Amino acid sequence: MARLTALLLGLITAALAEEVSAKDMPAALWDTLNEIWLALSVVIYLIVAVPSLIFMIKYRYKRGEREMGDQEHEGHWGLEALWTIVPLIVVIYLATHGFAIFKEMRTPPKDALEIKVTAFMWGWEFEYPNGKKVYAFFKQDKDAVKGYRAQEFEKPLLPVGRPIKVNLTSKDVIHAFYLRPAKVVQDAVPGRNTYLWFQVNEAGEYWVFCREYCGTWHSRMFAKIKFVPETEFNNWLGGKTALKKTDEGGAL
Amino acid sequence: MREAIHIEKPWFSASLKEWIFTTDHKKIGIMYGITSLVFFIVGGIMALGMRVELFNPGTQHVSPDTYNYFLTVHGALMLLWWAIGIWGAFANFLIPLMIGARDVAFPRLNALGYWTFFAASVIALITLIPGNQIMHMWTGYPPYSANPNSGLTALFVFIWHLTGAASIMGAINFLTTVVRMRAPGIGFFNMNLFLHGVSSMNLIQLLGIPSIAGAVTMLFLDTYVGTNFFNPAKGGDPILYQNLFWFYSHPAVYVMVLPAFGVISEIVSTFARKPIFGYKSMVVAIWAIALVGFMVWTHHMFVSGIPDWVKILMSYTTVLIGVPTGIKIFNWVGTLYRGAVVYKTPMLYALGAILMFLIGGLTGIPLGLPAFDIAVHDSYFVVGHFHYVLGMAVTLAAFGGFFYWWPKVTGRMYSEALGKLSFWTIIVGSNVLYFPQLIVGLSGMPRRYYDYPVIGEWITLHQIQTVGAFVLAFGILLGIIALIKGTLSGEKAPANPWMSNSLEWRLPSPPPPHNFDEPPKVEKDYCPHGYCKF
Ligand code: HEM
Ligand SMILES: [Cu+2]
Ligand SMILES: [Cu+2]
Repeated sequence: MARLTALLLGLITAALAEEVSAKDMPAALWDTLNEIWLALSVVIYLIVAVPSLIFMIKYRYKRGEREMGDQEHEGHWGLEALWTIVPLIVVIYLATHGFAIFKEMRTPPKDALEIKVTAFMWGWEFEYPNGKKVYAFFKQDKDAVKGYRAQEFEKPLLPVGRPIKVNLTSKDVIHAFYLRPAKVVQDAVPGRNTYLWFQVNEAGEYWVFCREYCGTWHSRMFAKIKFVPETEFNNWLGGKTALKKTDEGGAL
Repeated sequence: MREAIHIEKPWFSASLKEWIFTTDHKKIGIMYGITSLVFFIVGGIMALGMRVELFNPGTQHVSPDTYNYFLTVHGALMLLWWAIGIWGAFANFLIPLMIGARDVAFPRLNALGYWTFFAASVIALITLIPGNQIMHMWTGYPPYSANPNSGLTALFVFIWHLTGAASIMGAINFLTTVVRMRAPGIGFFNMNLFLHGVSSMNLIQLLGIPSIAGAVTMLFLDTYVGTNFFNPAKGGDPILYQNLFWFYSHPAVYVMVLPAFGVISEIVSTFARKPIFGYKSMVVAIWAIALVGFMVWTHHMFVSGIPDWVKILMSYTTVLIGVPTGIKIFNWVGTLYRGAVVYKTPMLYALGAILMFLIGGLTGIPLGLPAFDIAVHDSYFVVGHFHYVLGMAVTLAAFGGFFYWWPKVTGRMYSEALGKLSFWTIIVGSNVLYFPQLIVGLSGMPRRYYDYPVIGEWITLHQIQTVGAFVLAFGILLGIIALIKGTLSGEKAPANPWMSNSLEWRLPSPPPPHNFDEPPKVEKDYCPHGYCKF
């Protein structure tokens, strides 16, 4: 049994690994799972809803003709066994496939670039291996456009096409790090170290949101990460350390 | 037990004093119902406030603290007062009638339970007074909830203590009543599925509440006495709170939904005029859900920083719950087969609840897979999922139950046309409100956000929701009007307007103060689900 599961898992992971190597990770893995789930859900919904609608119409009350239901039909062991066993197989398959994918999602490649992110009320401190730090702060403004605007020096840079491991912790309360295209969330817990990893292959600026409620301005606890080619990233990293806490934001 | 039962007038002619000092299960049931409904409306109004604020990004009408207060109270009221409290109403009114008893086992404890719940309600109202707000969400995670900026944590703790104590009193009472006071001929395998629903609910309450009571007590000590159970700076662990919290609060979702399943089963079999399909597997499924429900709580903590192997373990147990839940849905569909389906308002609500619950269930399965949850945890996808389950399935079942038993409770028929109109308005409004939540969640929108950046797609999806929310609110209003109008000017209800075979329909509407003057006798092959044989 154990060997069988191992074999099954191996097959699934191998099949997936080949297919997604060139895509964003682990977002592409999530996309696969999402597609499987969506397809299954639509099918299951139809399996239930279509017979329901047919019965609702076909067996509706008709005076003088169909005034009471069939009193004999109190159950059917065969059918009941069927709709126990088939869903059982479906959910075990989903959990097992999910397990295989999850293992990959939680295993950062060895060559990953490691950075440290510390969350606080309400902002993020990004620390690079060479000690360089970038701060992204909450901004108070009535206007969403301005409240969510980041200046250049507040934008941490990361290289495209390279796995990145983020080591997370928090200075005060629980927050959660979520990078939109990476499709991964991980809580930043005070007194604990947690991690997540991802790889983004297309250059651009992407949102980071706080995903665990952390107080008044939870909704403005964001950052914008700029994904750039590796050489540009290295130049930036070697340049002046942006150890500059702004008084815009945090102090307000 | 005996001496607490004294002669009382029927509920509609009782004086205020008699209401306050009553130990009659029917009156207490009605008081639970009114309290729950009032708080449902308050929670709904707060939700409308949030929806108005979210209509556009940026700050429009309220400050973030006000918004966060609304959200905290919306969550707490909808869960503790509505989705749990409303079953206190149904359980009180119906259990003795369904088992042929004169009252519950401990009528005075029952009254104490209601007044404890009432005290919790007063505390909830106190949070409306400026300066007493709580703003750490109904989950109250430390360390934030131990932070003075999060509001008056003490009130949060007392609300849990009081509603918890009320629930434990109710649970002891209802379980004893169902186990000990059934009329001869009513056994565990031929009693109403509603009774299985509330019994399993109450067993969960009894086993689970001590855990949450401990958690919030420790939170109280941390906040006001300076202990450090959850304070990481002094060696405490905030994750411990989450474990204790969800050990109760996950099973608590079955506290909300199992009685709803019971109500749906009653209504569907009555209006299909047919015994419920697969009664035995329905019973097994209910109790299986209640049992396995205690072994899944870490699915709320998939990104909290717990060990990965725990996530996998509870991923399997979580999706396993889909199996008994599926059994129930298929059996309801089976009940329609070769029935004679009568489309009265309660039936519409019950069928709507089934088809909407299915969406809630299908969106719940992927949340049980850590690999899926990792992207949508604490996003609007979760908000959409639990609104399909609670805001739709449980709420539709509760309203279906209102319409279904209204003739029994008030002795009057509700307004059928208004009732049906309310159903269609609610079902349209709810879907317009809740479906976009799923979509905007998949696109990354975080949960519990007062404001959001200008992302075109998000704005559209939020605006659609707000429109849906108002349609839904209008539908709820119509439903309540249909019920009240029935009470005031409806036709007199016969004893058994739906031709149900269940015991409560053999009493006059409304039932006399003592329910049964003599212990009722049921036929040898008594089956509460199905067409009346008389
Ligand atoms: C008038 C209908 C309703 C509207 C417009 C509405 C709207 C909302 C909104 C906007 C949120 C905040 C989402 C977020 O930012 O996280 C929310 C949260 C919530 N709603 Fe509702 N809702 C309605 C009905 C219900 C019902 C009937 C229930 C339960 C029976 C319910 C239970 C909850 C819960 C538990 C939360 C989460 C609170 C939290 O995150 O702490 N809602 N609702
Ligand atoms: Cu936050
Ligand atoms: Cu749960």
